[in-house]
Amino acid sequence: MRLDFESVERALACNGAFSPRSVGRRLKPPLQAKACSTLFLLFSAYVFAQPPVAPTDEPTQPARGDNASDYNVLQSWEMGYRFAAVGGDSDMYRSTVNYTDGVRLLSSSLSIQSRDGHGHWFDQMLFNTLGLGGDPYELAAFRIEKNGLYRYDFTWRSTAYFNPALTISNGEHLINATNHLQDQDLTLFPQSRFRLFMGYSRITWSGPSLSTVQLFDGSGDEYPVFSNIHNVQNEYRLGGEAQLFGFKLNALYSWVDFKQDPVTNLLVPSPGNNPNDLNTLESFTRTAPYHGTSPYWRVALFRDGSKYWSMNGRFTYVAGQRGFVLNENSFGTDRLGLPTLRQILTFGNAERPAATGNLNLNFFPHPKLTIATQTSLYNIRMVGDSFYEQYTNSVPITPIYVFNFLGIQTIASSVDAQYRWRPWFMIHGGYVFSDRRINSVAAAGVAAPPPGQPPIGQTNKLNAGALGFRVKPWRYLTIMADGEIGRANKPIYPISEKDYHTLTGRVEYRRKALRLAGRAGIDYNVNSVSLTSFASKARQYSVDATWTPKNWFSMDLAWGKLHLNTLGGISFFVSQLPVNADSYYVSNIQTVSASTHIIVKKRADILVGLSYIQDFGDGRSNPLVSPVTANLPPAFIAAQTFPLRFISPLARLSIPIRARIRWNFGYQYYGYSEQFSSIQDYRANTGYSSISWSF
Amino acid sequence: MRLSAGVFALCLAPALAFAADYVGSQVCRTCHPDIWENFYRNPHFKSIASGKAKPENTGCEGCHGPGSDHVAAGGGADTIPVAFSLVPFEKVLDTCLRCHSQTLSRANIRRSVHTQNAIVCTNCHSIHSSQTPRYLLAKRQIDLCYTCHSTVRAQFSMPFKHRVNEGVMQCTDCHNPHGAFAPTWRMANRPYMVEQAEANEEPCLKCHIEKRGPFVYEHVGVRVDGCEACHYPHGSTNPRLLTRPVVFTVCLECHNGLGNFGPNNNGITRPGPYHNLALPRFQNCTTCHVQIHGSNADSFFFR
Repeated sequence: MRLDFESVERALACNGAFSPRSVGRRLKPPLQAKACSTLFLLFSAYVFAQPPVAPTDEPTQPARGDNASDYNVLQSWEMGYRFAAVGGDSDMYRSTVNYTDGVRLLSSSLSIQSRDGHGHWFDQMLFNTLGLGGDPYELAAFRIEKNGLYRYDFTWRSTAYFNPALTISNGEHLINATNHLQDQDLTLFPQSRFRLFMGYSRITWSGPSLSTVQLFDGSGDEYPVFSNIHNVQNEYRLGGEAQLFGFKLNALYSWVDFKQDPVTNLLVPSPGNNPNDLNTLESFTRTAPYHGTSPYWRVALFRDGSKYWSMNGRFTYVAGQRGFVLNENSFGTDRLGLPTLRQILTFGNAERPAATGNLNLNFFPHPKLTIATQTSLYNIRMVGDSFYEQYTNSVPITPIYVFNFLGIQTIASSVDAQYRWRPWFMIHGGYVFSDRRINSVAAAGVAAPPPGQPPIGQTNKLNAGALGFRVKPWRYLTIMADGEIGRANKPIYPISEKDYHTLTGRVEYRRKALRLAGRAGIDYNVNSVSLTSFASKARQYSVDATWTPKNWFSMDLAWGKLHLNTLGGISFFVSQLPVNADSYYVSNIQTVSASTHIIVKKRADILVGLSYIQDFGDGRSNPLVSPVTANLPPAFIAAQTFPLRFISPLARLSIPIRARIRWNFGYQYYGYSEQFSSIQDYRANTGYSSISWSF
Repeated sequence: MRLSAGVFALCLAPALAFAADYVGSQVCRTCHPDIWENFYRNPHFKSIASGKAKPENTGCEGCHGPGSDHVAAGGGADTIPVAFSLVPFEKVLDTCLRCHSQTLSRANIRRSVHTQNAIVCTNCHSIHSSQTPRYLLAKRQIDLCYTCHSTVRAQFSMPFKHRVNEGVMQCTDCHNPHGAFAPTWRMANRPYMVEQAEANEEPCLKCHIEKRGPFVYEHVGVRVDGCEACHYPHGSTNPRLLTRPVVFTVCLECHNGLGNFGPNNNGITRPGPYHNLALPRFQNCTTCHVQIHGSNADSFFFR
């Protein structure tokens, strides 16, 4: 498993001094002013993404760094204290924000660069961190490189995850786990025609969690249990790339080992979620080790640079395999109140080989015309066999042998043409044909493996066309529009795309310090079923503006509307009576994002910002009064919309104390409130005070 | 002054030129010291440091083309063979791909949606005013992406979201802005520009390793239509990034038992009569069906 190394940019970007332009500070005054202006523009861009209110990004060290021997060194550190005061549902706060009190190394960056490109051991070394010392989101990245010889990248990330999922499992599926990811990549001869790659990645996902078990039969009960999460994946990569006769051949082989060892226990005897029945659970233990490998191959051949054509082809093969054993012991009373002791043992194997082939050809018959074709083939087979044995009060059931097969074959082909009629106008269009066949076998044998049986198949064909244009009627104005329409003859699910169309339009005005942009998009899908029809209508609109009139002032303002309206047929039972009805859902989210950055005579940097999210739902004031359908259980009516508000203003102040030291203070408020229930609402005052310096 | 610098450079040119039309980066330095002074930090400095690259692949002229005319004219953007702010977008793409097409991750750039919309290298990368030493991005990555994808920015501001704004994730963890191979889920046509994990699987499985399987009992929807059949990948107002605020509507919209959907053409299984959906304990489907992404022990995902 390999994560994109580019994540380190978050940390790297905290230090604008990497800007090559920033060297202008030691040049003549006009250049210096220009460089400072550029620096400011770069820094001001930082505010637009409305990140959490730390770390700061103002430079503390001389932009040109310090020279030591043949190297140039740039470094900065920001350390401080983060605080968080939460009122209301702290679990919800931890699920959505999760910052806590404590001393933090909010960010750091170190850059050592060879000045002549001929360093002895290395030419470039970069090291960056973010949130170390206890923040829920931590990152460290390291790169060392010797021109022409090697490049080594290391990234480490940690995420603290907490989520009780109150509205979807009554909080009985709480997860309080930590995710650690690391990636290491070594490239030998990175600028050569022959390159070698080696890599290692490791992911761990561990921590306590809650879960539920359902016992002892279909009329039983559900019991909350404690489950320890312990997942580990190690990946080793080895590959190379060669350039021959203008073609590049890239090959990679990887070993992926996965290991899951969950242990599930009942901590205290439980009457179950339904205390009115006779089901109880006195003890419960389950172990379910689940181990396996997923080695994969990737071979690619590609070429670019010809005047008239380019191509790339890729073949991949993944051979996923897992073995498992599940051993479960439970003791309690069944629905009749009779003591029940049950042991379940099941073991088996699952395999999932998947192969992919891609061939993409691009043709440039005329300088103004590009034709791109694509053909892809995807074949995946999932084969599982298992043995199941169960003892209830020492009475065994006859062992069951299971064989399952699921195969998916997809062939897709597309052609796109792009014609640049004038520098200010271009048009593109395309056609896609896709054919997918699904084969499945679900077989079980009592006391003996099931006999072979032919698979049942389902085939879906999609025809889709796209058309778009881009026009630039004025040097400052760009207008773009795209549309796609697709027809599938047999989608696998009622919510899958069947008769769909999308339309997107975008207008952008950009002149000097001002940028205005607007976007509108729709994505409609109609998928008929016999009960009723499923229709999904998604509409998105946004307008945003960025204005940087002075080098000490910038502001950003954005508004967006995300509207989703779906209607689908559902069928279920209420008191054993069937109910056919419509599932109606409306989400009408409006968002506002604003920020302003002011530099007060080089003595203080001030940032204020706001992020505002509100789902207005379908406009109802009573959750149980639906404007559309009323003949449904109350929970179904209440689930038709979920209005809420999530607001987060922030402010930040950064003051230079000395040439290489700054004092920073940030504050951010989070307010979460649902319209129909306050049980998950919270308010949080968070912030930090820090010192950033270089030495 | 500009003229005198140009004359000086022109006089110097013959001594430093690599070829007739190439004057060498040292000449460029004469009038562009602000760029040159810090250029050793730039990855493109490798071409100068090596001393082995051909003139057309070295330093300033490696990207901007031979500079003799520019020097002779005493400057001026219109005399630069490749002035990136003036040339058409396809010229920008061609120039950068002369060297940067060697990486597999950029193999699909010609047919990417970005290229279709004239978004090419210099829209995101800034060679001389970069804010990041790696990849020479003009801004932080999320700021770049949010510039155009403002609705995605709104999604990442939702209460439940992947931690992109917090800095521990990046857009490129899941997407390839240079174009990706066809997806291996849904109908292989959409979504666009999504990078694949483990050579050919959905990128969610890069981190959510326990959802990957293979399982004896696969939840077919996960494998056929992908994770986004039930989850919003960017952000959501619902826990676990679900598409609905409660789980039973997520399930029931497919599991309605009607029509000829499903891999067996007989509809997606409807909950049985003992599921009294009027009772709260039956409305949290995953309370019983805990292994909803796939199970090895139970065909109903109970364990």
